[in-house]
Amino acid sequence: MGTDRYAYMSRLRMADPVPKIWFSLAVLIVCLMCDSIAVGVFTLIVMAALTASLGGQKVKTVLRFLRVPLAFLVIGCVTIVFRPIGEGADALWSVRLFSRWTWGITPEWLAVGAGVFFKALGAVSAMYFLSLNTPVADIVMALERMHVPKLMTELMELIYRFIFVLSDAAARIRTAQESRLGYTGFRRSIDSLGLLSSVVFLRAWKRSDRVWSALESRGCSGALRTLPQEYSSGARLYVLMCAVCAAQLAVLAAERWLLH
Amino acid sequence: MKCAIEAKDLCYTYEDGTTALDHVSFFAEEGCVTGILGSNGAGKSTLFLNLNGVLTPAGGEVLLDGEKVSYTRQGLTELRRKVGIVFQDPDDQLFSADVYRDVSFGPVNLGLPEDEVRRRVESALELTGISDLRGKPTHALSYGQKKRAAIAGVAAMQPRVMILDEPTAGLDPQGVSDIMKLLKKLRSELGMTIILATHDMDIVPLYCDRVFLLSGGKMLRSGTPEEVFSDPEELRRNHLRLPRIAHLMEVLSDRDGVDVDRSAATISAARREILRLLQEETDA
Repeated sequence: MGTDRYAYMSRLRMADPVPKIWFSLAVLIVCLMCDSIAVGVFTLIVMAALTASLGGQKVKTVLRFLRVPLAFLVIGCVTIVFRPIGEGADALWSVRLFSRWTWGITPEWLAVGAGVFFKALGAVSAMYFLSLNTPVADIVMALERMHVPKLMTELMELIYRFIFVLSDAAARIRTAQESRLGYTGFRRSIDSLGLLSSVVFLRAWKRSDRVWSALESRGCSGALRTLPQEYSSGARLYVLMCAVCAAQLAVLAAERWLLH
Repeated sequence: MKCAIEAKDLCYTYEDGTTALDHVSFFAEEGCVTGILGSNGAGKSTLFLNLNGVLTPAGGEVLLDGEKVSYTRQGLTELRRKVGIVFQDPDDQLFSADVYRDVSFGPVNLGLPEDEVRRRVESALELTGISDLRGKPTHALSYGQKKRAAIAGVAAMQPRVMILDEPTAGLDPQGVSDIMKLLKKLRSELGMTIILATHDMDIVPLYCDRVFLLSGGKMLRSGTPEEVFSDPEELRRNHLRLPRIAHLMEVLSDRDGVDVDRSAATISAARREILRLLQEETDA
């Protein structure tokens, strides 16, 4: 998975994941609640900078991941900004469509669009702080400590692990099919893909039996109990959490004060 | 001779009616490497799962240190503590995305205190030479590394008997020799009894003290590697073969009429034979 590879290289890798989760979550929630362009921009920059400085990720990596949701965001925000407007409305730019409707961009909706854009990007940046510094396995373990039901965390752990095993199997089957011209032409591709899915399903089914045997032979008594590596304390992340949240609120106050 | 684990007249039938084990008797001497030879589908895996209590035999009995295994919850825990299985496909065994946590699974299940679990995980990682992989996700490991992680997961439970299903399958020559050296280390340093299923015939004379020949759910033969290799036709009937060196000796003896010791199955034994022949030649 894209971010996981980097999470394992992060300097915060061995920091306790629970404070990392709370930190990202708190910053995310404040960013969403403030509903302000300035706070969005601030969160975006600060969290990306922290991922790069504290986590030791390359700036290029962080920017590359921030670009991922950009396409969705731009499409979403264009549809907010560019909309039908009434005759004689105060438009920055407008166009007559089929000489019946007037569509255009007004300052109010431009502000709404920009607000959504930066709020979302700020939130994404806060989540990247978590996912670029914490491997999924650690997040799952932390969720367990945060009293998420064990059934769910165990499922998450197994699903995450076996996504890789099954996608490996699927990739091998696909190569085998391709090497025998399984994907030439539309019809044959559909047939081959159907075959591939059913075979992967069957293999997963058979594998589940063997996995269960293996778990049982190691003394599994129904619960997947393991011990993680010893984490370093993440207490300073709580301090950082308070500082960033306070700064977010200060930015909000400053924005209000400057606009009024 | 002291048997670490023994099976007497073991029978097992799967739900669909196929007989997987038919009155199989087997034993593994303490501190030795015991090989089980058998083609695919001979019943090796079923036998192993019976020895570790994952499957309950329909007939016969399993003896651990001479005592009959009880299939109560407590008896099974005891059995699994003492007998560990390393499965053929490490992807079947490694369930966690985190190597360290996967290795810790067995010791945690034994109910050990945290610092003891950590100590055992450390020593198992050290022993299998994957200490530097502890922070890596399981899916980033190579096949050979996964195999080692799987062995570490069982070694951390410190069983007295370690069963390995095809430990060398799918490894490159270097990987095979590394794994076999590791098994020797487990035996000599920790005094573990090793049982391994294989059809890699060339490693058998090098590492096994005793071998069993399993076919179609029946135990056909047992003895030292030399004894079992003395009947090559039986091996071939059961989709196996002689080790390459032993095959060479067979050909030299049968077709060329050379007076060689046919039981020579390793390079060092063959070397001794060739040197002896050369010596005889010069003497004559």
